[in-house]
Amino acid sequence: MLSLKEFFEKNPGIKIIVNAGKGGLGKTTASAAMAYWFAKHGEKPLCFSTDPQASLSDIFEMDLFGKGIKEIMPNLFVVEIDADKRIAEFQEEIRNRIKTMYGIDEIPAEIDEYIKTSAYEPAMHESATYDAMADLVASGQFHPYVFDMPPFGHGVRMISMAMILDAWIDKMEETRRKAAEYSRMAEEIRGIAGGVEEKILSELREIRQKLDLFRDSLIDPEKCAFFMILIPERMAILDTERAIAMFDRLGMKMAGVIVNQVYPRELLDRPNLSEFLRRRIEMQQKYLKEIKDKFEEYIRAVVPMFDREPKGLDMIAKVAEHLFEKPGLEVFE
Amino acid sequence: MVEKKKKGKISSELGKAIKGMFVGMSSLAVTKQMLKTRMYLENLFMLITIGDMLGIPILPPYYSLRLLPYAVPNIKTWKRRLFKERDVTDMLY
Repeated sequence: MLSLKEFFEKNPGIKIIVNAGKGGLGKTTASAAMAYWFAKHGEKPLCFSTDPQASLSDIFEMDLFGKGIKEIMPNLFVVEIDADKRIAEFQEEIRNRIKTMYGIDEIPAEIDEYIKTSAYEPAMHESATYDAMADLVASGQFHPYVFDMPPFGHGVRMISMAMILDAWIDKMEETRRKAAEYSRMAEEIRGIAGGVEEKILSELREIRQKLDLFRDSLIDPEKCAFFMILIPERMAILDTERAIAMFDRLGMKMAGVIVNQVYPRELLDRPNLSEFLRRRIEMQQKYLKEIKDKFEEYIRAVVPMFDREPKGLDMIAKVAEHLFEKPGLEVFE
Repeated sequence: MVEKKKKGKISSELGKAIKGMFVGMSSLAVTKQMLKTRMYLENLFMLITIGDMLGIPILPPYYSLRLLPYAVPNIKTWKRRLFKERDVTDMLY
């Protein structure tokens, strides 16, 4: 078993870390703790939360939601995207662009309606968030980037989205190029004015370049590490199994799993332990065994259940210590 | 002088007409075909970018919006073309 620290020592080229898993299992806490540890060890990490529920603000006990990039401790940068705000700003930008492009004061009703309703498209939040992530990575200002995936099914879907998007942009570039060719030929023969192909093509290329850079970093196991956070319970184990299978299908490899909220086994030795706790601990031990059987090569750290919520920098420091310095892998021996 | 100028103008007009006739005879069909292919490609492009306007979501909406400004002048005719009923006489053109 490779501990988390050993994993990063063995893979020094990692520049993106993604934490995925079911909601409420500690993705955001793990992301914050990882970023904290890197900041303490001479790096300049950015912890990025895509969660619309603003968990980073809760963890660091300050309002970060939609406030841009904030340095909350020397070298530790945090950003919590307000996707709704970003979409609203983007819609306004598009409206202005149409107005200036065609010299009109008012957007045609039909088009305005389309712009308005686009905010409610099911994939709007995801694509806006994905774009924000790609922008940040393209800027290259931070190292590493620690992303906290929102719990919609599998955060892993974002990766396949990148691939689908890439394929579509390929197709679009092709149709634009062909269309440009045909109109050029027609123009030569009969003098018909060409369209705005060049502009559209360059826009498409720009989007594509950004996404390609991001996707290439995401699918490169030497640059990007995906961790799955789970707890010793049935559903989390199933979810992790599915995520690993999905990674296999995409031809990628999961960097590891982190087992969270584990009750110390030593508690069982206490004579006055309540029946309730004893049952829970025994249940966890059973599932820890299953985790070992199923994911042995992936286990990177075991984080205990704390006696209070992991909030504030002190607690985050404690989580980071458990992740990197005391990975607790002996529970599997 | 005036006569000559008029004559020149007539002959150049005539030349243009003859040229146009030959161009038409030789390449009208080709040009038409090209423009038609171009139109199909344009339809395809519109469908990919703003297909969700008609309930066919293909591109993630964030990028659809980004490309929308370029599609604005074509939206009306594109919708009309797509919704147009087809019949067998279409094949003649």
